[in-house]
Amino acid sequence: MAAIVSLSDVIKTYRLGTVEVPALRGVSLDVHAGDFISIAGPSGSGKTTLLNLIGCVDTATSGTVLVDGNDTRHLSDRKLTDLRLNTLGFIFQSFNLVSVLSVFQNVEFPLLLQRRLSKSERRDRVMSLLEQVGLASHVDHRPNELSGGQRQRVAVARALVTQPQIVLADEPTANLDSVTGNNIIDLMKELNEKNGTTFIFSTHDAKVMSHANVVIKLADGKIVDGVAPGSVPLKSVAEVH
Amino acid sequence: MGGHLRILIRIALRNLFATKLNLIIGGIILVGTLLVVVGGALLDSMDQSMSRSIIGSVAGNIQVYSAKSKDELALYGAMGSEADLAAIDDFSKLKAALEMVPNVKTVVPMGINAALITSGNTVDIALEKMRDLVRQKLEGRASPDLEARYQSQKEYIRQILRVLQSDLKKREVLVTAKAIEPENLAALDRAASNAFWNGFDRDPLNSLEFLENKIAPQSSDADLIYLRYMGTDLDEFQKSFDRIEIVDGRAVPSGHRGFLFAKFFYENQLKLKAARRLDRIKKTVVDQGKPIVTSTGRGGQPSEAEHLLKQNQAQTQEIILQLDKIKSDQAIERLQRELGSTEKDLDTLLKHFFDMNDQNFTRRFNFFYEQLAPLLELYRIRVGDVLTIKAFTRSGYVQSINVPVYGTFQFKGMEDAALAGSLNLMDLVSFRDLFGYLSADKIEEVNNLKKLAGAEAIDRSRAEEELFGTARKVVAEATPGLIDEGTESNASLRALRREELLRRVYSKDEMDNGVMLNAAVILKDPAKIKQTMKEIESLSEREKFNLKVVSWQTAAGLIGQFVSLAKLALYIAVFIIFIVALVIINNAMMMATMQRVHEIGTMRAIGAQRSFVLGLVLTEIIVLGLVFGATGAAIGTGVVKWLGRVGIAAPNDWFYFFFSGPRLHPWLTAANLIAAFVIVLLVSAISTLYPAFLATRVAPVRAMQAEE
Repeated sequence: MAAIVSLSDVIKTYRLGTVEVPALRGVSLDVHAGDFISIAGPSGSGKTTLLNLIGCVDTATSGTVLVDGNDTRHLSDRKLTDLRLNTLGFIFQSFNLVSVLSVFQNVEFPLLLQRRLSKSERRDRVMSLLEQVGLASHVDHRPNELSGGQRQRVAVARALVTQPQIVLADEPTANLDSVTGNNIIDLMKELNEKNGTTFIFSTHDAKVMSHANVVIKLADGKIVDGVAPGSVPLKSVAEVH
Repeated sequence: MGGHLRILIRIALRNLFATKLNLIIGGIILVGTLLVVVGGALLDSMDQSMSRSIIGSVAGNIQVYSAKSKDELALYGAMGSEADLAAIDDFSKLKAALEMVPNVKTVVPMGINAALITSGNTVDIALEKMRDLVRQKLEGRASPDLEARYQSQKEYIRQILRVLQSDLKKREVLVTAKAIEPENLAALDRAASNAFWNGFDRDPLNSLEFLENKIAPQSSDADLIYLRYMGTDLDEFQKSFDRIEIVDGRAVPSGHRGFLFAKFFYENQLKLKAARRLDRIKKTVVDQGKPIVTSTGRGGQPSEAEHLLKQNQAQTQEIILQLDKIKSDQAIERLQRELGSTEKDLDTLLKHFFDMNDQNFTRRFNFFYEQLAPLLELYRIRVGDVLTIKAFTRSGYVQSINVPVYGTFQFKGMEDAALAGSLNLMDLVSFRDLFGYLSADKIEEVNNLKKLAGAEAIDRSRAEEELFGTARKVVAEATPGLIDEGTESNASLRALRREELLRRVYSKDEMDNGVMLNAAVILKDPAKIKQTMKEIESLSEREKFNLKVVSWQTAAGLIGQFVSLAKLALYIAVFIIFIVALVIINNAMMMATMQRVHEIGTMRAIGAQRSFVLGLVLTEIIVLGLVFGATGAAIGTGVVKWLGRVGIAAPNDWFYFFFSGPRLHPWLTAANLIAAFVIVLLVSAISTLYPAFLATRVAPVRAMQAEE
């Protein structure tokens, strides 16, 4: 099976004034459909940078990033945006809901951008996802009327509403208490198993990463270890070079 | 972007009141719209009102005058002097031609000029009356009635002399005695002495001459009055400018020589000053509800009314000089009764009387008009008097005419408008006389003189033969009596001739056949003014009339430009305000964009294109503009409606003209609202272009970064 995401020799360097700060120093990685991958590592190890590159919100300094067969370095902003809209889903550390829109409208938002579904189709899709994340009774609430965990569940629903192939989650539990965080990871896992959606999430919480099929450990911009936690049976394995 | 409109509008509406920045931007838009709506409506209404004033009072829709003129026509005067216009010789021909233009209703001939007239001081008037009585006595028309009037007038003059004497004494206290001409003092002392008056009856004419030459110039109440008048076909004028109404007296009868004072001018320039001041106080106190007494309460500036009352107290001479012994006693008696005083000096009584306050003003105002005014001449020139006007003709010599005053007029709605009320009306024949053009009468007079003198036109080529040859006797013997100097210079005959002129009726042809300076063209459909002006221009070219054709606005001179200037000022003000608004909105939107970087980044990360972000920002500002603009326009509409109901009081006499009445009732047109909306939306959109561009540059990666 071909990799849905494929990175080879990716280097990412940030420029801070005159100083060049290396964030990733030669990363190669293949991700297959249905994977549930955790990227682990201390702060500044390059987790977010790696997710940004996969998420097409940033491009590599050198090396190639292939997402669904597209080399992101050679895509226009418009194409990259389409890729983010149709192929990827995002879950953010600070939830990033549009504060003036209701729960329903936040989830519906990517569908409106897609302009593919009719009003009733959108409604069915949004409601079924809100049911899956357990917020069907909160459709008309505004984000600021919800708890952190509820908000993140809305974000999960929003990330999945377009039925993307890959969902990226940057520290999805960092702003939540451990119980709620675990619930979110359980939810993601459940959706991964039910729909076969690929999840890639970053975390520095050991308890959270134990849910993953594959944990990729990053340190100083390099992959130090790629292991499947022993207790968890692997459906498919990320090939780590 | 089209398909996204609903979500964009939804977000924009929800964001409307979400931030303080939006409220600031909205506030600016609201105030801006309000200003444009109210300001625009006010100026438009004023423009219309003023055009009504100008068109309806003298200008008509179009004015024509000779293209050879040195100056441009300025119906309301140009910087203190009258415009120098070349005359158009044959009005009847021009009128006939102009009336052929389909849209022309009528053509009214006109000519404006000005003269200084002296109203004559009180002493002069009293002495002239005395001279008349003396003459009657000398002619042997003695009667008990004449004798009584003669004695009374004598007493009156002595009363005047006493007033002048005490006035001079008072001045001696104020200025050093040296400043007063000793000659004047001596003359006054002599005139006031009993000896002078004992001898008066023996040599009345010489005594009068002394008084006229030495005393009359010492009285300072004579005024030079600047009189602007327009010569016109009065019948035609009253028919064409239907807002004119006669206030006092009556209209000049058809075809007669005659003069009509503008009521405003008549009140302001010719009325007894004390009475005029009382009228003005009444206007501020009763009509405008301002109290007289303010300075004591607030310790600030004295009110206008107080100022006027002080003037009345200081200038009682004007009244005292008018009263002879009998009337003076009557006035003293009435004032004593009114004031409950035993004071015997009229001056003191008047000063006391004019010390008015809010409690007694109305009572004393009525007392003045009911009790004192009948003793006085309220106006220096009365309706029915014959007015003598001396003016410089075009060729520079002084021409003088007599013209009877038939009455006063005003334009409805512009009763208090200084500009409309300073132009008096005169018949066309008198105007032509004054302007130095030969009128039918003059030609006739010259012909008569020629006939009397036996003058004959001599052909130049045969001059020698005619003068020195023997065939005909052109050179008459100097026969005394052919021209009877005695009869010609006889005053009563001259007066007779004058009377005859004043009674003469001129036909319409005589009116039309002659010169005029400009003409008002009144249109059937005023909206087609531009087209009609073109037609008249081409007609003038075809027929070699050599006319200058101007709209009422141009003809009004500076005044006509006033509203255009005010509009320009408003637009400049609006422009500046909107430049400032542009900068503020721009900055505010930049800040708003910066605050929303996280949200915009999130949208971009989720899959929103740059065009969506652009649409997002623009939709927000347009919704903001529409909502706050509509609120501003609604408030503006309310304000204009309210103003339209209560009206805006004219702040001074000038504005009566611009307001076409004492109050302006502004109204709103759809154009005002549309203009306001277009301006506001344009300004909002322009000021948001850069922030919107910046918003599209927000990188999706900003979504990943922690919120500040």
